[in-house]
Amino acid sequence: MRLLAVLAAFALIVAACGGDGDATTTTAAAGDTTTTTAPPDDATTTTGEAPMACSGSIGVMAPITGPAASIGVEQLNWAKLAVDQFNEANGTEIALVEGDTQLDPAQASTVAPQFVSDAGILAVVGPAGSQEIEAVGAIFADAGMPFISMSATRTDLTDGQYPTFFRVVPTDADQGPTIANFVAGMGGTKVFIVDDQTSYSTGLTEAIIPVLEAADIEVTTDSVSQDATDFSSLVSNVSDDTDWVILPWQIAANAQLFGQQLAEQGKTAAIFGSDGLFSPNDFTIEGSYVSAFAPDITGIPESADLVEAFQSQYGDFGTFGPPTFAAATIALEAIYSICQAGGEPDRAGVLEAVAATDQATSVLGQPIVFNESGDVEGAVFFIFQIQDGEYVLFTG
Amino acid sequence: MDFFVQQLVNGLTLGSVYALIALGYSMVYGILKLLNFAHGEVYMMGAFAGYGVLTVLGGAGSAVVPVPLLILLMVLGGAAVSTVLGVAIERFAYRPLRRSPRIAPLISAIGVSFFLQSAALLLFSARFRTYDTPSMISPTTGVVIGPLRISLVRIIVIVSAFALMAGLTLLVSRTKLGKAMRATAFDLEGAAMMGIDVDKVIVATFAIGSALAGVAGVMVGLVFGRIFHFMGFIAGLKAFTAAVVGGIGSIPGAMLGGILIGMAEAFSAGYISSTFQNVIVFGILIVVLLVKPSGLLGRPELVKV
Repeated sequence: MRLLAVLAAFALIVAACGGDGDATTTTAAAGDTTTTTAPPDDATTTTGEAPMACSGSIGVMAPITGPAASIGVEQLNWAKLAVDQFNEANGTEIALVEGDTQLDPAQASTVAPQFVSDAGILAVVGPAGSQEIEAVGAIFADAGMPFISMSATRTDLTDGQYPTFFRVVPTDADQGPTIANFVAGMGGTKVFIVDDQTSYSTGLTEAIIPVLEAADIEVTTDSVSQDATDFSSLVSNVSDDTDWVILPWQIAANAQLFGQQLAEQGKTAAIFGSDGLFSPNDFTIEGSYVSAFAPDITGIPESADLVEAFQSQYGDFGTFGPPTFAAATIALEAIYSICQAGGEPDRAGVLEAVAATDQATSVLGQPIVFNESGDVEGAVFFIFQIQDGEYVLFTG
Repeated sequence: MDFFVQQLVNGLTLGSVYALIALGYSMVYGILKLLNFAHGEVYMMGAFAGYGVLTVLGGAGSAVVPVPLLILLMVLGGAAVSTVLGVAIERFAYRPLRRSPRIAPLISAIGVSFFLQSAALLLFSARFRTYDTPSMISPTTGVVIGPLRISLVRIIVIVSAFALMAGLTLLVSRTKLGKAMRATAFDLEGAAMMGIDVDKVIVATFAIGSALAGVAGVMVGLVFGRIFHFMGFIAGLKAFTAAVVGGIGSIPGAMLGGILIGMAEAFSAGYISSTFQNVIVFGILIVVLLVKPSGLLGRPELVKV
């Protein structure tokens, strides 16, 4: 009986521990928590007043701690770099507010209201995962808060249900067929797909399967938790004549282990990982393929200065950082454009300005113009192959 | 049949690691009636210590010592760091609270757990680290029987886990310290009155349990490749479940529970679906507790009047 009581106490404590979202506020809270919805033209600066620096904050929602922290820290650092560089170049005083979501919808929905109630926050970069967008979309829509994701690719996020949502990456409607057509084009006959039980992963799996089946490829599916620490039983389920394993996963180290265990059990199937696995440090199974929503910017000459600036300050990075830089830049420019027009930035104005984004060039190597649903026009996926431990752009 | 044996090996590997961690939970609970929730983090720190030894000795592919010695040193390093950590946790987080209500050390344990997790995050950053075992022991070396493959690293893990468990059983049943541990677990105050240095026994219990967790951490690094600051939480939860299924406080129970949970995970992933892996594991916990509330090998608690 005593043991059961202790167990119950433990369950309660674990449940309570699961709910600690911490949003570190780096700006003074504006006192009232109501959302400013005044149109921008109500708030024009009067002449004769001392010139005020353009200010405000952007919130960054990323998995800064927890199992996906390696992604989140990279995203946060790129956002910091974007804010620092922008402030320096334009004399603005825009602050960054961190919100740790741990890639967990429950955490994200704790952080979102904190951001909403901080009247200084005019736009949000993030959250990172599709499952988190679903958790915060309605909260941000109600608050009129523009939010720009740097990595959420689930297709139906931009079907109009979240009117203030934007993303700088292409969708799984593009990625799924890209992967499936590639595998079919490489002569795949028997494919094993494992989702990792996240909204991102199941959505992508659904986009891949019909294309494979249309190409007469035999598809077997399975599913494993993102928290799993051993895949050997799952690997035993991959039949010896399977020639491709597709992993639409988010945690690169998991795929690394999967690949090692595949080799350990003598299976020869090639691995195709989705964009979530793009991580030259953590996923290095020789000969595997990985799709990416952004090019490797270290290979783009125009980005050399930026790469240098980041590496000298924060070290190496994968493909999650640069889209975050792009998303943060969009938010920063939106705020700045209102200041330049003589207005005082508020969420409604920033939302309008974000929607009207028109960048002829970006860190992602392509122009950024949003369509009506919040997707970047003409965004495409890239395919990389791991050769001698390096990610090499695969061109066929 | 091959598939069955393959899953058996998978389950045995996982199970022997869970068993090693579960022993620490069970031994401490047996003596102090304390759920040491920081135990998962002790295991995590052991894994990082093993990684540290590996790095200091030149890394997986280019170590300055032969591979068998390298692995031995990693295991010893992991065990040593975990032992020191476990003893320190007992000294600073639990001993001052020994006379407080039982909930106090429990909260303290959870605090230590978060403290160590965050410390690891600060010290080692959030990145996954890999032992890069394939550079030490080729994943294809091992026993190959037809389509069945048992890699050498799995054999090492399973054999050494069982050897350690046998050693612990001998220690508890045959040595003076073991006798003192059993006496203290049976009745702490009584043992103290019989002249047993209870504090010493408790420190020894923490040291042994933590050393086993440290070894488990290094083994997980070797067989599953990657380690990270958060790894102690889930492993700790599973091992705790194993300890409860086996009968918390019982040493053979922890071993049995660990193997059982490992097997359950492997076979549910193999024959049913990995989707329901955790559901099945915790389902077993519930069923066992309903049928036998004290666990498979646990003794019903005596109420002292």
